[in-house]
Formats: sequence, C-alpha cells, structure tokens
Amino acid sequence: MANERLPKADVLQGTLDLMVLRTLSTIGPLHGYALSARLEQASGGAIQLNMGTLYPALMRLEQRRFVRAEWRVTDTSRKARFYSITAAGRRQLAAKQAEWDQMAAIIHTLQHNLG
Amino acid sequence: MSHLREWAHRLAGTFRRGRSDRDLLEELRVHAQIAAESAQRAGEPVDAATRAAVIRHGAVAQAMEAQRDQRGLPWLADLHGDVRYGLRGLIRDRGLTTVIILLLALGIGSTTAVFTLINALMLRTLPVRAPEELVYLLSHYPGDPRNAGLDWKYYELFRDQNHVFSDFVGTSPAWHLQVATAGTVPEELRGEYVVGRFFPALGLDPATGRLITDEDDRMASADANVAVVSWSYWNRHFNRDPAAVGTRITVNGVSTAVIGVAPRAFTGIIAESKTDVWLPMALARQAKGGVRGVGAIGRLKPGTSIEGARAEISVLNRARNEEIAARGHDARWLLATMEVEPAGAGLSALRDSAFKPLFFLMAGAGLLLLLACTNIASLLVARGATRRREMAVRVSIGAGRSRLVRQVLTESLLLAAIGAAAGLLLAYFGAAALVRILDAVGRHEPLQIDVRPDATVLLFSALAGLGTAIAFGMIPAWQAFAMSPVSCLRDMSGVGEPKSHRRFGQGLVVAQVALSAVLLTTSGLFARYLSDLRHVGLGFNADSVLLVHLNPQGSHLNATVLTARYRELLDRLQGIPGVRSVSLSATTPIAKGSWLRFGHVDGFQEAPDKRRYLFLNAVAPKYFETLGTAVLAGRDFEFQDASRPRVAIVNQAMARYYFPDRSPLGRHVTFDGDSLPYEIVGVVADAKYESLHEPAPRTVYLNAFQEGQVQSHFAIRTHVPPLSVLRPVRRAIDDVVRPVRLESVTTLTDQMDASIVLERTLAGLSGVFGAMGGLLAAMGLYGLLAYTVARRRREIGVRMALGATRANVVRVVAGSALAWVLVGLGLGAPAAIWSQRFAAAMVENLPINDPLPVAFSILAMTVVAIVAAYVPARRAARVQPVEVLRHE
Repeated sequence: MANERLPKADVLQGTLDLMVLRTLSTIGPLHGYALSARLEQASGGAIQLNMGTLYPALMRLEQRRFVRAEWRVTDTSRKARFYSITAAGRRQLAAKQAEWDQMAAIIHTLQHNLG
Repeated sequence: MSHLREWAHRLAGTFRRGRSDRDLLEELRVHAQIAAESAQRAGEPVDAATRAAVIRHGAVAQAMEAQRDQRGLPWLADLHGDVRYGLRGLIRDRGLTTVIILLLALGIGSTTAVFTLINALMLRTLPVRAPEELVYLLSHYPGDPRNAGLDWKYYELFRDQNHVFSDFVGTSPAWHLQVATAGTVPEELRGEYVVGRFFPALGLDPATGRLITDEDDRMASADANVAVVSWSYWNRHFNRDPAAVGTRITVNGVSTAVIGVAPRAFTGIIAESKTDVWLPMALARQAKGGVRGVGAIGRLKPGTSIEGARAEISVLNRARNEEIAARGHDARWLLATMEVEPAGAGLSALRDSAFKPLFFLMAGAGLLLLLACTNIASLLVARGATRRREMAVRVSIGAGRSRLVRQVLTESLLLAAIGAAAGLLLAYFGAAALVRILDAVGRHEPLQIDVRPDATVLLFSALAGLGTAIAFGMIPAWQAFAMSPVSCLRDMSGVGEPKSHRRFGQGLVVAQVALSAVLLTTSGLFARYLSDLRHVGLGFNADSVLLVHLNPQGSHLNATVLTARYRELLDRLQGIPGVRSVSLSATTPIAKGSWLRFGHVDGFQEAPDKRRYLFLNAVAPKYFETLGTAVLAGRDFEFQDASRPRVAIVNQAMARYYFPDRSPLGRHVTFDGDSLPYEIVGVVADAKYESLHEPAPRTVYLNAFQEGQVQSHFAIRTHVPPLSVLRPVRRAIDDVVRPVRLESVTTLTDQMDASIVLERTLAGLSGVFGAMGGLLAAMGLYGLLAYTVARRRREIGVRMALGATRANVVRVVAGSALAWVLVGLGLGAPAAIWSQRFAAAMVENLPINDPLPVAFSILAMTVVAIVAAYVPARRAARVQPVEVLRHE
C-alpha cells in the first residue's frame, strides 16, 4: 500500500514546502507530475511523493499565495496545471532557507563534535 | 499573515468552495495518466503500468479526500453538517422536540425571569463615575423594615460630621408631579429633589445644557425655579431639540426653567423606578413641613472601606437616636441603628424585602430546571435506544466515536439554544408579571423596572442553556461514545441492551422522584403556611364581612351632623335583608396603617425601654359582634357613652401585660400628651391588627361615638354572600349621607389576601413548581415502565405460559414502579426536610419541622407512581402468551 511509505513522507512534511518552492524557483513553472519527478530525481529516488501528500501541500502554498497556478498546455499537447512561485513565495523561500541553513549547521556541529 | 490568508481561503472554501471538485479531479487524473504513460514508456504493459502508477503515486480518491480537507475547514464543514443533520432529526421527531423545547423554555424561562429582577434590583450598576464607591444610609428601627429616608437635620448631621466620605449628597422623592410643557395638558411624573452636589458627586455630565449646581440650590424658589429633565422626557416632548434648554415648563403649577438634560443612560438614582424631573432640594425645604425622607448617598474617600464608614456612622447615629428618643418618649429609638449599604446599583426600598423571596424563587426555578434536565435526558436516552440501529450503521461504515459524540452534543446544543431563546421570551413576560406582583405587595412607590433583557440577562440565559445542554446531553453522548461496532451489530438483532443503560434510566427516574419530592414538600409547606396565616389566631371571623369605606371630605357636613347621619346609616344598613350586624370603626383588621400612641396605666411602673406603642382603634357599638371577636369581660360600647366620661375596651394582650393578676375593669389608661384618662369597661379577645404575621399587639378600643371622633369604615356582617348586599348598601348611603362619597368596597377576606400577596404568590408558584415536578416524575416513570414492559414482552409471555397469573404480572410491574419511587423518596426525604429549613430561612414564620408537608409529598408521589404504572401494568397483563410465542 502507498501508505506504507508514509514514514518517509513524515520526515518530509516540514521541509516539503521548502523543497517545492526551491524547485519552482530554480526551474520555473512545473505541473504536479513534473515537480514530483524532479524531486525524485534530485533526491536519487529517496523522495517519492504520493498525490495525497503533494497536492494538499501545493494547495496550501497556493492558499498562502506563495505559488500561483494556471492550466496550460504541455510540450506533449496535454492540458496540465502549472505552478509558479510568487514574489511572496520567494521571500518565504529566502527566510526559510536561512532558517534551514542555520538548523543544518547546528545539527552538523552536534553530529561531529558530540557523535 | 500568510497563515491568516490560508485560513481565510479555507473558511471561504468551506462554504463557497474554492476550486471545484472537477478541477481538483482533473489535475489528479492528468497526474495519474502521465505517470501511467511514463511507466508504459519504460516497457510495462498497460494494466501493470496503471497499477504501478497507483502504487507509486497513490489512488485518486484518497488524494481527492486529502485535497478536500485542505480546501476547507473539515471540522467546520462537519459542524455545518451536524447542525443540518441535527435539525433534520429534530424536525423528524417533531413531538419529542416540542416537548423538550417546552420543558427547556419553562425551566430556563422561569430562572431567567427571576434573574431579570435580581439583576435589575441588585446587580445592574448605575451609569455613574466609580459606582462601587457609592453607599447609602438606611435607618433601622427595631422590628421595622430598613428605611432610606432621613429627616433633613439628621442628613446635615451626617454630612457635616463624617470624615469618611469625599461627597455626601441628599435626594428626596417628588411623587405625582404635574408637569406640562407650554400649552399641553399636565402629565403625572416622578421627580427627585436633589442637593447642588448631587450631579457632580455622581460624576454625571449633561446630555445638553447644564445640571443642577450648588448655586441653583441656593437660589431656587417658587419664583426662580429650575429643573433638569430626563433624556426620555427631552426625547418625548422636545424631540431632542437643544433649544429645549431655556424654555419653561410648569411643575405643579409653578413656571420652571429647563436648564439641562440628564445623560441618556441615567434614569434616576432609584433602582426600581425612573425619574423624569430633577428639582433643587431648596424647593422641598421651603415647602410647608420641610423635607422628610432624604436619601443620603456618600462617596467613600479613597482608601476608606465600607466597614470604616459603618463604624463612623454608627457613632454619629447615637446623637440622633438620643434626640429622637427624648422627643418621642420612645426609648426603643436608642436601639435603632444606622446602616451603610453599597449604592452602586441604586437606592432601593424593595431590595431588602424582595431579596429573600427572589432567592427562594430562584431555588425553586433552578430545581425545576434540573428536573426538566433529567426528564430530557431520559427522553433522549429512550430515543437513543430507537436510534441504535442508525448509530450502528454509521459506526460500521466508519464513523469515528468522537464524530458520533460530536453529533449528539450538537443536537443537545441545538435543543438548548432553541429552548433558551424560547425561555428568554417567556422570561420577559414572566419578569413583567413578577414586577406586577411585587407592585401589588405595595408599601412602596409604583415600580418601573426595565425587564428587557440586557447583556447580563442574555449571558445568564446563554449559560443556563449551555449548562442544561451539558447536563442532559452528557448521557446520550456517553452512550454514543460507549458504542462499539461489535455490540451495535449484535444489538441490531434486537437482543437486549447493556445493563448500564438500563441503570441510567432507573437512576434518572429515581432522581426525578427525589427532586419532585423536594418541590412537593415545599409546596405543601407553603399551602400549610398560607392556611395558617388565614385562619390561625386571627381573633375575628373573616368570612361574610363587607367593608365599606366612605369619604366625608368635601361633603361639608360638620362632625355633629355626620355623627347623627352615620348613626342613622347604621340603623338603615342593619335593616337590609341578609345583614346580620353592622358597625363602624377607624380602621379594620389587616388594613394598611396603624394608629399608634404611647400611654400609661395608673399604678403601673415600667422601664423606659420596655415601653411599647399601644395600638388604637375607635369603634361603634356592636363592632366586636360584627367582626366576631369575643367580649370576655365587662361590656360593649353603647351609644349612650356619648354623654358619659371617657371609656375604653382593651384586648387580652393589653390586660395580661398591665394587669397580670387583677381585673382591668374600672382601671384607667391615659395617653401621652393627653390629660383625661379612659376608664376600661371591657376586655375582648386578641385580634390581629395590621399584619397577619404579627400576633395581636396591645390594643385599646375607644368609642367612636364619644367625643365626636367620627370614623368612616363600615363593617357589615351578612348571612348571604357579602357582595350580594352591595346594591341596597349603596342605596342606603345615597339616601342617608348623600354628599358623602363611597371611597371603596371590599370584603374582609379580600383585604386579608391583599396583605399577603407575596406569600400567596410564593405559595402559588411553589404549588405550580410542585405540580410540574409531580407531572414530570410521572412522565419519567411512565416512560421507563412502558419501555420496560415493551422490552420484556417475551419474558412476560413465557412466564404466563409457565403459569404466572395476570395478578402476578401486574404485581411485578407495579412493584418495580413502587420500588423506584421508594428509593427516590429515600433520597428525597432528607433533601425535602433540608429544603424546609432553607425555605424557613427565606420566609419568616414558616412552620418548620412540620411532618405534614413531607407526608403530603410521599402520598402524592405514591399516587403518581400508581397512576404512572397503571397503563403499562395493564398492557403487561394483556400480553397473550400464545401470540408472543408464535411471534418467535
């Protein structure tokens, strides 16, 4: 069952927003499948996003006005909903990125000095 | 900020839906398709590719559900659904819903009605600066109610000599002012005379113009009168025109300048009435007789406690008491106290007398509400039993327990909300009715209490509603919580119900019996009390006496003529068919007002503080015969006494006190300030004088036909219903004393009843509460028995098939009813006995430790049990064993 991968998704929960925003900021507008494929590829297959996780997250970001979405035609002439980052999204990304870097540095220090 | 936006979106999404379901679904479908295609491209067959895509990316349906949750606020959507579902349920069970809402409206309505009055008299603070610092003085003469009116000179004494108040102001009522604006007919309004510091001390600012100042109070006279009018008067007569300031109105015929308008929120300093006109106190002081009855209001200095003020005022009060005692030869004044009470909620003559009855009513209404709650709980439990199937289905298709509990609680809250709203409406009329009753109790000015619910009252009824919802909703909610799918599915086969549920039902019935036993005992207590008041130790026979009050004022008949005419009238009335006996007197029993004098008896020495007022009456011959008071020694008055030395008749209380060991006949009594003594020529039985609550005071009767003391209260004892002789009585009055007007007509029993309106109201209401309690207990009992019999039909059938007789069956059913009632009474009796003590603390002279009311409630509850058991028992006895067994 798909649910059995949930532990992995749980780890992602707090950082999913950050990853989505980072990806959209770097690559530009993407539809949901492309976004999840991109994340999977970038993580070397470690992150496999369930639709039930991805789309509520996208909707939350949209409700907070960090991303906006519109239906567009893909390269393969299919209609898909494309997400792109907003100015507010970029500001949020910068703030979260700083927080994340700081946290990562702390964890790194702890790991190496105490571990 | 961004979170706020998310919630705003989701709130909108809950009701108006953000993106449509189709849009969401389309996006997911595209995702799934691309996923499947990419798997196909990797070389998998179509079926396997689709499956793989589902495994990797999850199913569309679940993702849809997750999206929907994110789109709106699921709990709000649930609540919305619960409310709609609940309303549908309530409409479906229309009968039950109506009963429950009626019960709630009654319970919440009666508590809120009582609370409305408590709020108006005691809680609602005046719209003035720092109302908590205000206090007022209450003079307390031993044995009398407290009184907020001081003589002006004592007001000055307290004002000038205290060190505890930063402000000390006086106000005096001006009743029945005839007030007219230019060119209109005067209307009767209530006013207040106030000192110059009154408005500044309260910290009030005018709505327009200015308020009365010290300067106004110094300068005011009949020629230069000024007035402040209320906002409401300004609104009614001047349409809120600022030009009203400076115009003139007429107050009691005196032209008066309007100098300003009081602030809108301020309707006067008296809690139970409204003031429309404020006039300078100087006017009252210039009037003949000066000003009496000054309400004294102080503002405590910062850091001074009310206890500090009490201590100082009580010291200052000694000087006042000594002066009054010396002046009036009444040593009891030395025992009088001057009390200090908070005035933040306004001055009130009613607060003292109404507090206990209101508190008592609140207790009764609260009990009724509690009883209604237990009834509603048992109704809901019974309905829960019929809804088990529905619940079971919902549980088995996956509804969570918390979801079911929430649903049940929502229903309870819905019921409570509707009940509270209906109760609020009921409370409005109930409170208005209570005000009218308090008004009829009399002895204070007409009441103008605003019973429209304010924020406090609304909060109270909302809390009452919430409290009841929790009280009656808890049990069905617990039942929903305790529901497990397995037991539900088992239940669907119809096999019994958990023992715990049955215990609940029985427990509720027991509680109902106990509560209504308390209510019934109290109503029995009051019925007994009222009957005692009306019949025990009266000293006169109140039945069949017509009281006719004439008013000779304006008839221009002098005393001599009037005396002759009245004597003729007595003869004429005596001749009317159906009339047994006629007399006249200065006052009649239990009328308002007493005629009091101090006096002394030759040869009787008494300490000054032992002296009591003597109660007087002037009566015509045959008064005692007419009232049914026994003449125990000596003789009745005679018309011939007119030309003899002064005579008097005393009652037993008087005789016992002054002549404990000898006959009073031939002795003399002399009133203070009077030189000639009265010779005692008779002794009569004790008869209550002004109050049914007080035993007969020391009473002296004088002859109304001696020394021209003409009196106009006629008493007529009849063989026939007293009002039936009214027509010939009127004719006789017209014929004999023509210019004299007929002031009022009543019967002695009505006059007595008018003096105990409050007691009769309390008795009536506690009777209603008791009857309601009995009815509710009967309903509960009937419901439980009917349900038990229906559930045990099969068992009864089997028993009968095995040889049980109908009598056995009836015995079992009636037996269980009696058992529950007995347990309920076992719990209720101690509570009932305690409630008697409680009632006695609230109402003076209640006969406590009287076994009769308790016996009455036990008897009543037993009757209730038998009535409630009758139908179910008969139904049980009609069970046909063959039918039941065939049905299996």
